[in-house]
Amino acid sequence: MVAGLLLVTGGAAAGVFGALLGLGGGILIVPLLTLGFGLPLREAVAVSLVSVIVTSSAAASVYLQRSTANLRLGMSLELFTASGALCGGLLAYAIPERVVAGLFAALLAYTAFSMIRRREPAPPAAAGAAAGTRATPGAGDPPSPAPAAASVADRPSVADRLSGPGYRVRNLPAGIAGALFAGVVSALLGVGGGIVKVPVMNLGMGVPLRVATATSNLMIGITASSSAIIYLLRGGIDPYVAGPTAVGVFVGASVASRLAHRVDVRILRLLFVVVVAYTAYEMLGKALA
Amino acid sequence: MSASQAAGGPGPGAAHERRLERAVGRLLSLGTLAGVVLLAIGVAGMLAAGLAPLTTVAPALDLARLAADLAALRPEGFLWLGVAVIIATPSARVATALVGYGLEGDRRMVGIAVAILGVIALSVAVAMATGA
Repeated sequence: MVAGLLLVTGGAAAGVFGALLGLGGGILIVPLLTLGFGLPLREAVAVSLVSVIVTSSAAASVYLQRSTANLRLGMSLELFTASGALCGGLLAYAIPERVVAGLFAALLAYTAFSMIRRREPAPPAAAGAAAGTRATPGAGDPPSPAPAAASVADRPSVADRLSGPGYRVRNLPAGIAGALFAGVVSALLGVGGGIVKVPVMNLGMGVPLRVATATSNLMIGITASSSAIIYLLRGGIDPYVAGPTAVGVFVGASVASRLAHRVDVRILRLLFVVVVAYTAYEMLGKALA
Repeated sequence: MSASQAAGGPGPGAAHERRLERAVGRLLSLGTLAGVVLLAIGVAGMLAAGLAPLTTVAPALDLARLAADLAALRPEGFLWLGVAVIIATPSARVATALVGYGLEGDRRMVGIAVAILGVIALSVAVAMATGA
């Protein structure tokens, strides 16, 4: 009973942290289950994928109803994230857990580093995109030509068809490569892969940051389910662990979305960086043990 | 259909796209809620029965037993069904988009949706063929 409640509480904490800092829960759930509860890394990854699908589906439903996510672009790229996740799911059973632990330590270190470097989000007025309207480019977005030239063409190109109001998708091959890599990372490490997809879409493809974040969330569901199926059918998911963790993450993320405007994210981010850096050190120890 | 219409500009294509996005969003919302409610019932049953995660050996997924487990209100039935619903929800979203784009006559997006579902089917086949 105590272990069940601890899993719910731990999942809720991961959900709160993840939602407030704009991360999927996976980056916190995997270390929580391996270092905190002693679960084998592969099982922790499988449980994390279930939780990641819950949070991404919940968030994507809101983004779609507000037209923030680009459904066409998301579906076009998720074909490749799903393919990458299929390969990653098979790879996870082929490589030693120590290697996976080492890769996870590197991912944690990179996440902590990017959290330190992250700029404060632009105020809503500056971002110029109210909830309930289609997203437009905001502060911090790379210059991206509007699709005006494309719309006069009789037969719009693939990139034109995937573009949105105020921005034109470019460099599709880079997006495809990034999506494939994100899929492998997601399946292997039990994370959403947004840490790869968002920069690729935003900086590489000219998609505004808000749209890239929302579209990445949409894609995570299919990406994670492609590999979760492999873990599920190979007996890699423990329902007694997945249930309490996923419920906790869902509750935590829901609470956080209502608390977001009352919390000083700078302090939270500092705390997160310390926790993640320590977790990276512990994971590295596991890899080298 | 022009790019501006597809992306949200004026025109019947854009209105169809908005309807499709809303339908897909509602499906994701419903699927997530259903999955989480099933998991919550399973967790409550698990705690009430004194089953300790991490030390109790989890029952394997057995589709033939699922209905009997649910009828007997066994926690593992609700937990497995919840996990299955959550994992299936994104695929259901792609299937809904496939129908929507099919009605719109957008063959490219229909092809992409079919290909995504093909990758998911391949995941199932590969996992079953190489299972533990």
